[in-house]
Parts: sequence; C-alpha cells; structure tokens
Amino acid sequence: MNTALVMPFGSADWMAILPATVVGLTALLVLIADLTLPRHLRRQTGLAIAFLGTVVAGVLALQGWGHSYAAFGDGFMLGGFTIAFEGIIVLATLFTLLMSTSLGREDQAAAGIALILWAATGAMLMAGASNLMTIFLGLELLSLALYCLCTLSPRPAARESALKYLILSSTASAFMLYGMALLFGATGSVALSALLDPPASAGLFDAGCALFFIGVAFKLSLVPFHVWTPDVYEGAPLPVTAFMSVVTKAGMLAVFARFAYAALPASKAPQLLWPMWIFAAFSMIVGNVAALAQTDIKRLLAYSGVAQLGYIVAAMAGTTQAGLRYAIFYTVAYTFMNLGAFAVVALLSREREEGSHLASYSGLGQRQPVLAGAMTFFLLALAGLPPTVGFTGKVFILASLVFAGYAWLAGLLIVGTVISAYVYLKIVFTMYARTAGAPLRAAVKPMSLLPWIGLGVCAVAVLVLGLYPLSPSAANIVPFVK
Amino acid sequence: MIWALAIVPLLAGLALYALPRSAGDAAKWIGVAVSFVAFVAVLALRGAPDESVPWFSFPFVANFHAGLGQGISFWLAALLALTMTCALAVVRVPRQRGFVAQMLILLGAMMGVFISRDLLIFALFWDLQLIPVFLMLIGWSPDRRAASAWRYLVYNLAGGLALLLAVAAFGIAAQSTDVIGLPPPGGSWLANAHWSAWIFAGFAIAFLIKTPVWPLHTWMPDTYADLPPPAVAVVSAVQSKGGLYGFIAIAASVAPAPMHAIAPLMLVLGSAGLIYGAVVALVEDDAKRIVAYSSLSHLGLILIAIFSFDRVALAGAIVYIIAHGLFSAGLFLVLGEVEAREDTRLLSRLGGLGARNPRLAGGLVILALAALGLPGLAGFAGEILIISGVYRAGAIWPALLALVAVVLAAAYMLRLFQGMMQGPQISDLPQRPDMSPLEMFALAPLVVAIVWLGVNPGPVATAARDAYVSPPAIVSARP
Repeated sequence: MNTALVMPFGSADWMAILPATVVGLTALLVLIADLTLPRHLRRQTGLAIAFLGTVVAGVLALQGWGHSYAAFGDGFMLGGFTIAFEGIIVLATLFTLLMSTSLGREDQAAAGIALILWAATGAMLMAGASNLMTIFLGLELLSLALYCLCTLSPRPAARESALKYLILSSTASAFMLYGMALLFGATGSVALSALLDPPASAGLFDAGCALFFIGVAFKLSLVPFHVWTPDVYEGAPLPVTAFMSVVTKAGMLAVFARFAYAALPASKAPQLLWPMWIFAAFSMIVGNVAALAQTDIKRLLAYSGVAQLGYIVAAMAGTTQAGLRYAIFYTVAYTFMNLGAFAVVALLSREREEGSHLASYSGLGQRQPVLAGAMTFFLLALAGLPPTVGFTGKVFILASLVFAGYAWLAGLLIVGTVISAYVYLKIVFTMYARTAGAPLRAAVKPMSLLPWIGLGVCAVAVLVLGLYPLSPSAANIVPFVK
Repeated sequence: MIWALAIVPLLAGLALYALPRSAGDAAKWIGVAVSFVAFVAVLALRGAPDESVPWFSFPFVANFHAGLGQGISFWLAALLALTMTCALAVVRVPRQRGFVAQMLILLGAMMGVFISRDLLIFALFWDLQLIPVFLMLIGWSPDRRAASAWRYLVYNLAGGLALLLAVAAFGIAAQSTDVIGLPPPGGSWLANAHWSAWIFAGFAIAFLIKTPVWPLHTWMPDTYADLPPPAVAVVSAVQSKGGLYGFIAIAASVAPAPMHAIAPLMLVLGSAGLIYGAVVALVEDDAKRIVAYSSLSHLGLILIAIFSFDRVALAGAIVYIIAHGLFSAGLFLVLGEVEAREDTRLLSRLGGLGARNPRLAGGLVILALAALGLPGLAGFAGEILIISGVYRAGAIWPALLALVAVVLAAAYMLRLFQGMMQGPQISDLPQRPDMSPLEMFALAPLVVAIVWLGVNPGPVATAARDAYVSPPAIVSARP
C-alpha cells in the first residue's frame, strides 16, 4: 500500500475532491477580494463569493451521485455516502453564511468567511476520508479554523470559549492520533481497508480502536466526553455555534460510520463498538436532563445537540445497513431542525446576542407571531413531534433499532425524548404563556434579514421531509469503502 | 374526501392566524362553520371507500390510508364533529382567535386518529393531538405556571412515544403498518408471541393513559379543571375515547393473544377506576372535577366491557362511548355556562340557581339524568348492554360492581344538580340572565342525540358487527 503514495494521481483523483477544493479555493478568492475592494464592499462581496462558491461545490458534489471511486490510493472514497455528508456540510455552510453578516469586526469579516470555508473544506475531506491520514488532515483543518472562529466576537466569553475548545479539542485529537498510531503499529498500514484483515497484535489493535473512539466521542460530544460543549457553544459567536453544531458533527459522523461499518473485522466489531452505543445511550438521557436547567438558548441547544447526536449514533447500533441509512436521514433532519432554530436565534439577536437568552422569548408569540410560530415548529421537530421530519426520523431510528435487536436503546430513546419534550416546549411555553403584567419588549430589529431565507428553507424542509422522507437507498451508500 | 376531514380543519386552524387578532367573533363563526361542514361530511361519507396514498415502503410499508366505514370510526368521527360544533358555538374566551384556531387543529388531529387505517399515521395523529391541548392549557388555563399543561404533556407524550415504539416494532415484525381493520393474513399479524406481548404493552400504555384508567389518571382532573369549557367538552367527550377506540379497533386485532392474557388485570383496573371515580365524585366540591371523576368511573365501566370479550358487552361499550361523549360534552358546556355567570363552580358556593335560571337547570337535569343512566336516555342503553354482557361473559363481580357504580352515579349526579340548582338562593352570587337562545341552540343537538341514542341504540350497537371493530378474535373468544 505504501507504493500508492508515490503513484502519480490522475485527473479522476482530483475530480473526487473537487467540491472540497472549490470550497477551499473560494476562501482564497474571498481573501483576495478583501485586499482589492473598497472597505464598504468587502463584507457583502466576500459573503456573495463564498455563497456562490459553496453552491457550486454543492452542485459539483451532487454530480458525482451514483459514481464510486477510490481516489488517491484509497485515501479518499467517492460514493453516495460521501456525497450525502458533503451535501449536509454544504447546506450547513450556506445557512451559516446567511447568519454571518455580522460575524467579527469589519476588518475581520473576510477572515471569518474564509475560515468558515476552510473549516467546511476540512469537514468535506472527513466525509470521504478512508485512511487515517486523510481523517486527521480533515479533522485538523476543521478544528484549527474553528479555534480562530470562536474568537470572532467582542464578548469576553468568546476568548474563553476559544481557549477551552483549543485545549480540550487538542487533547481529544491527541487521543485520536495516538489511537491511529497504535492502529498503524498493529496493521502496518494507514488505510482503513487494511484494518479488516485480522491484525497481528490484537491488544495493540483494540487499544488503538479504543483511543480512536474516545477521540470520536469527544468530537461528537457524546457523554461522558461532552462537558466542553455547552461552554464552547455559549461563548462562540452565534453563526460559529450553528456551524459547529452541524458541520463538525457531520464530518465526525462520516468518519465514525465509515470506521464502524467498513474498517472493523466482523468478528471484532460488536465487542469494539459496544462502548459507543453505551455513550449514545448516556447522551440521550444525560443530554436531555442537563438541558432541562438551561436558560441560555445556546447552552440549551448544546445539550440538546448532545442528545440528538446520541440518537444518531444509536441508530447505527448493530451496524445494520438500515441503521446507517437512517442515521444519515436523521443527520439531514437534525441539520434543518437545528439550523432553523439557530436562524430564529439570529433573527432575535443584535451585537450582544440577545436572542440567546430565554428571557428574550417571553411574549414572543404576541410580538412576532411568525417568528414564534417558526421557532415552535422547529422545537416540535427537535422534540420528535409530528408533522415534522423529527417525527419521521425518530420512527426510522426506532424501527432500525428494533430490527437490529437493540430494543433497549429504543426504549432509552423514548425516555430521552419524553424529557426532551419538556426542554423544547419550555421555550414554547415562554413564548406563549401570559406574562404577568410585564410590559412587552419592543420587537428586536434583526441585524440582517438574510437568516429569514435560511429559516424559510429549513421550515419547508422540516415539513416536506417529514411527509416525503427521501433517503438514499442502501445500494447508494453502503459500498463506500470496500 | 375522507382525508379532507382531517386536513381541512388543520389548514383552517392555521389560516385563522391570518385574521387580525381582534377578529375573535369571526374566528368563532368560521370555526363553527368548519366543524359543522365536517359533521355533515362525516354523515355523507358513511361507508365511503377507503383512500390510500403510499408513504414509504422501507423499512416497512406505511401508507396515508384513511377510511370511515360504518363502524366505530364513523360514530366517533360524527361525535367529534358534532361536539366541536356545539362547543365552538358557545366559545367565549379572551384571545379568541388563537383559541378557535387551536380547537380546529385539535379537530383535524383527532379526526386523523379515528380515520387512520395505518398504524403509523394513527400514531402520528395521536401525538399531533397533544400539541393543541398543550397550547390551550398554557394559553388559557387560569394557572399562569400551567402546571396542568406539563402534567398533561408528560403523561400523554410518554404514552404516545410508547405507542410509536410499538408501531415501529410492529412495522419491523409485520413488514407493514397498514393493518387497521384488515384481517391478518394467516391468522395473526405477529407470529412471535414475545414480540406480540411487548408490542401490545406499548399500545396498552398509550391507551390506558389516554382513556385514562386508574391509576394512570392523575393528569386528567387538573387538565379538565384548567381547560376552558369548550375545550374540555371536546377533550373529555372524544379525545379520551381514543384509548378505548385503540383497544377495540387496533389492539384486539393486532395483538389478540396478549389482550386476552391481560384481561384479568384490566378488569381489576377498570373496576378500581369505576368505584374510585364514583367515590371521589361523591365528595368533590368543584363541579368540573365531579364530572371529571365521573368520567373516570364511566370509562372504567367501558374498559370492563371491552375486556370481558362478549359481543353484547362490546356493543354496549360502543354505545356507551358515544353516549358518554354526548352527555359529558353537554355537562361541561353547562358547567361552563354556570361558571361564566357565577364566577365559581364550587358546590359549596353555589345554590338555588334553578329558580332564576330554569333553562340552565333544565339542561343540566337532562344531562345529569343521562349520565346516571335513566332509561330512555343514552346512558342507560349503554349500561344495560354492558352489564348484561359482562354478566353473560361470566365476569360476575365486575358486573356487580358496575351495579354499585350505577347507584353511586345517581347519588353524585343528583348531588351535583341539587348543589347548583336547588336549595336556598345565595344572595352574594352575581345575578345574571338565564341561558341565551344561542346557548340553548348549542346544547340542543347533544340533547336530541342523547334521546335518539337512548330510544334507538341499534345503529350504533351494530357497529360491533361492522368491519373495523370485529376482528374475529375478540367476539369469538367467549369464555
């Protein structure tokens, strides 16, 4: 396999990573535009370029649908699975850009946009990464960009958030890297496909997997590796939080799914993976219970994200094909529900991110009925109530869990969902309950109307996907590494 | 067209939010019109062929399949539209536009429950009907913290999600959820007894909470006390019947074996609720809670009827489901009129209203007599069929307890009537006029239906024979 690294790469290899490349190059274009344009045009132009570039990348990614190709000597695997995750990342990046009209100071605008795009590039590489090196490359590109993005806010909490994220996330990366080193030691290869052969040294292999999974669980914020999440989400600027809550997770889910489904020998997979299902089980319960007490919407959504990621990882329990399919479906669902809710927060925020305080929602049903209605809809979706994609997605997860013989996880999912209803509907209650004589606050004039676009798209998607649950067929997503 | 019964009210409810906030009266009459048209449409669509649109086919087959038939679904749908029309006609709440909108959404969601022929769609509407009730509780309950809203939500959502898990498991096991009202191929839907038991358990939790059955009823009195009268009329008359409908139309055909196995426990729970509800209703001071606990008692009786697996008892159960819907909706509407006039509904504060409000007293006495089982009114028709059927099935002691409960019902219903309408007039109560023609007009259809069902229960009773309620297992398995 080492010879693959010196083989000349053909155009097909470069085509395979074209969407990621386009996003990365768009970032450069944004920076160049920033250098050349007059000051008052920079932010708008940068956003426009970034938006166009990301759309182009999305279209290019979709054109690969139905193709399957192992690029760069098994380093990057193109296929339905990769494209599905690239699509999620592109969508989430677009929604983030819509919210980013006030990200950072004026002189930081282009840098912020470029960093978002580079983070997306890293995540897109993770979506297709099929050897350990590519995984790490994508992960670090994503993480380094995010450390910087976390500081792009005037609030002091942002620095704290960035530092916390840097230290804890680097620790997790270190765990993961050490795990990768052990796996390389056990198998003599960095290719995921090489792990499938019975390894010479079982102890080394198992320890490597364990460390790798700890890194994965950290990045996915699964309990008990979730404690960084609320602090980082709270401190980071709103669009960055929204981005992290979806793109980081999607990239890491792709890595985990590929590893769990395609890299572990069938004889060892159940023993090696069961801690992940336990983590998922704890996440569904602990995430929702911890969210009960939150009064900051970003912290609340952080804990809710812990629980939602628990549902998604749980869906893969037993590594059935249906489970993978519905994990991807629910990831798409989560993208729309979560970013829809973030769009509402953005529309209620000015410089101080007022929209992240639960108190800002008091009486919103009277002041801004449309916004309150939209928020209610997204929260109902997150709670898994009909007629939304959250409901349909949960049905699929429950079905695949029962099918895979993990009915106990399905039972815990139900318990977690009941608790989560209280979490989400608490916000609904705040919006619609009668305020005890307190004067209604004036409607907050949003800094930009662009999040309305994201909100509208998310709302339509949450409804339509709930009623017409398109999901990639197993034939398209499963042959993704072998 | 059958789907329109559910979809049109849902969309109409959402569309009401486009009206200006002050258009409360316009919203009310739109609501009445939509519900009345729904009622006429239900009658017109009796026996109409089913409608089905494919939903998805993997991991199991699920279709948007709706049917009305001529059986229990039809009667419950008619009851729903009728009570909703009467309830909306007398709506008088603050922020009325939003309230009527939620009532219409509730109408659509509950209609969906009764016309669904696919388990997953049934579960979808089952969960959907929670949302408007929750929103009405947080928006219109007298308690600002809306404690009852959370209790309602947590109980019913736990049930709804247990149902959802059971439906998902059923889908995996049977490869299709489009099963309501269909005979199982090869004798049973679930070959595996172990699966069958767990799936039944999921259904049963949902149905027992929704009905509610003692000891899972604790959400119910607070919810009924806090909801405005039009909403509680509909919720108690129809939403609570979802659980009983589920046992009869779904559990009995989908998982007959565990349903028979659990019958002794259900007879005990039903009897406990029957007596407990009646006793609490005898001592409670709040008139709404008296009716709420009397519902617990009556619904316990219906549960006993269902789980005695007797054809006559089942016919009685269906008659009584409709009868209870009619008189409990009427009772809650009358109590709402009283509360609106006197600003209280405590028996210890009320008294002697009948002298000044003869029409109000007349309405209450008919409904109370129906509830206590006076021959000639609907309650009696159901009770006599149930008690004789339960006795015939060999369940002697539940039949005897039911007789005791009938006596207790007379006691608490007459206590309710006497406490409010008879006795000396209380001078510090506000002096308000008697029922308006509109209020009488809104109550009249319920009273007419009660009399009609009382003298002619046949059409409803034959629902026990009709397609959607007679899974062969439930009537043939006579002990």
